[in-house]
Amino acid sequence: MATLDVRGVRKTYGRTTALHGLDFEVGSGEFFVILGPSGAGKTTTLKSVAGLVDIDAGQVSIGGRDMTGVEPYHRNVGMAFESYALYPQKTVSQNLASPLSSGRTGSYSEAQQKERIDAVTTTLGINHLLDRFPRELSNGQRQRTALGRVLVRPADIYLLDEPLSHLDAKLRASMRAELKTLGSMSDTTTLYVTHDYQEALALGDRIAVLRDGQLVQVDTPEEIWKRPADTFVARALGQPEMNLVDAIVDDGRVRFASGLAEFPAPPSLDLTTGQRVRLGLRPRELMVGSENVGHDWLDIPGKVLLSERLGRHVELDVEAGSDQLIAVSGSDHAPREGDAVTLQIHLPNVHIFDAADAADTDTARIGSATGDRPATREQETR
Amino acid sequence: MAELMPGQKRLTPGAVISDIALVGWFVFALFPLLWMLLLAMKTPAEQTTTYFAFSPTLENFVTVLTQRGTDLTSVDFKSALLTSVINCGGAVIVSLLIGIPAAYAAGRWKFKGSEDLMFNMLSFRFAPELMVIVPLFVIYNEVGLFDTKAGMIWVLQLVTMPLVVWILRSYFQDLPEDLEQAALLDGYTRRRAFVMVALPLVRPGIAAAALLAFIFAWNNYVFPLILADTNASTVTVAITKFLGGGGQAYYNLTAAAALIGALPPLVLALSIQRYLVRGLSFGAVKS
Repeated sequence: MATLDVRGVRKTYGRTTALHGLDFEVGSGEFFVILGPSGAGKTTTLKSVAGLVDIDAGQVSIGGRDMTGVEPYHRNVGMAFESYALYPQKTVSQNLASPLSSGRTGSYSEAQQKERIDAVTTTLGINHLLDRFPRELSNGQRQRTALGRVLVRPADIYLLDEPLSHLDAKLRASMRAELKTLGSMSDTTTLYVTHDYQEALALGDRIAVLRDGQLVQVDTPEEIWKRPADTFVARALGQPEMNLVDAIVDDGRVRFASGLAEFPAPPSLDLTTGQRVRLGLRPRELMVGSENVGHDWLDIPGKVLLSERLGRHVELDVEAGSDQLIAVSGSDHAPREGDAVTLQIHLPNVHIFDAADAADTDTARIGSATGDRPATREQETR
Repeated sequence: MAELMPGQKRLTPGAVISDIALVGWFVFALFPLLWMLLLAMKTPAEQTTTYFAFSPTLENFVTVLTQRGTDLTSVDFKSALLTSVINCGGAVIVSLLIGIPAAYAAGRWKFKGSEDLMFNMLSFRFAPELMVIVPLFVIYNEVGLFDTKAGMIWVLQLVTMPLVVWILRSYFQDLPEDLEQAALLDGYTRRRAFVMVALPLVRPGIAAAALLAFIFAWNNYVFPLILADTNASTVTVAITKFLGGGGQAYYNLTAAAALIGALPPLVLALSIQRYLVRGLSFGAVKS
């Protein structure tokens, strides 16, 4: 168990920069999730901590000790690779015994090794596969073996690179629930990399959102969900993705560009007349119907273009003037295609972002429609 | 048209022509071998005839392996055979000992001049041996390596080392780096990660490279011809001596010697055949 301190870590591969000076701290025993799309630099971050890539600038400290120039085998970290990296010529149990017999993770007698391997493989549900070779395993079994090779040993820090990505949906959900309850996991500082926002929200004590080698926001899951620093973070969380609607500030009111809806501009946000903004509306927070009355509800009239039934829920594509909104409704009494509907959203759930020149440019969050305090972005994007 | 059984081919004119062409090529390619076999079993009286009918004898093989210092020939073929095994075996072992770590380094790390170094090594293969033979001859005479087995092992590195390094480098490059990195994090040093993880996985490559290097060294003619005499001379040189060099040419003995000389590489190839399979690293990483 140890703290991890990453300061100004930069890494370039030839002309491309993988990491633009990362700064974050992970507390002792904390479960810290790095969330980001592929190519954001997640794996490079893990390998920088492990000492497997030579960083160009910055410093990694584990337990307060500067790790510059320290070989990977002296760092006392365990890592599960996204590619599994199981030794093909060794059986599952030999793979798991490997970190125990190197002599650098403590010394274990034959019996102690067996005991540890049995405990881990039982937890992971692979104890019937001990004599198999990696080529004889399914991808899910390989992934659990790779995870087992990490958990079987004590370490200052566990580095887990997408450890659940190749499991089938059911197993993934149950492993996600189990992962945090694993004894060794709850005791050990863990750096966990994923592109799955649900995993991040469910597992992380804190989440760092990574984009193009830069941290966009580091916060608790609740804060990240409620106060995303910018449209990138907001869109990374939630399925379907957050709706973004252009709006303009006019005479103390924020009005949709389509003119279909408006609400009073929250005074605490210092919006000026004529300022263009973007509004973020999460599909699951948009309700169909008009039963909610009150000044803190926003009504948006529209017409259903497409209705897609997804089991318990129905996903609606609603045309509201020039905007196309996605809403999720319960499957009972769901409107049909062509119906005119009213979408309602609670004003505290409306996020206000800076306007963007192009639709795919990410902009910072100003606040919520009720004047909630703005979250700060970690770094300005280039 | 009737249903074809699995594996049955539809008889089209194109298929027939290509089959005939293949058989023709096969006969053309194998005929010299057959001719050599026939020649090796002929008596001196019959050696220049082109008849396929003759009284076959194994006498020539016995002569090649036993005769020494008779008027027939002064070639000590048996000791040349042994020298060849020592020279080529020694050359391959030295090449593996130095070449495997070199190939690993070249495959894993890019360092200043690493590509130049690799290209330089490859250039040993495309420069004709005759180009360097005169300076080598002078040097070997000066330092006392002329006609020594150590000298032959050394000079054969020009043949075997580039092969070993280039073949094994691509094997190491195909090996996912994650495997050795996992070993590092398991607490093993780079050397142990190499020995424990990388080396066993390139065993098929080592077998292939060693076999090829051995064959190339075995077939080398120019180096032993110029840089060796009685002490370190090899099979390739010995075979040609049966041609008489001005005296009577024993084509039948030459053929018998060539056949015997082709056996060791063949035996080696058969004995390491089971290592020459790829796909050993299957299942290591997700594909």
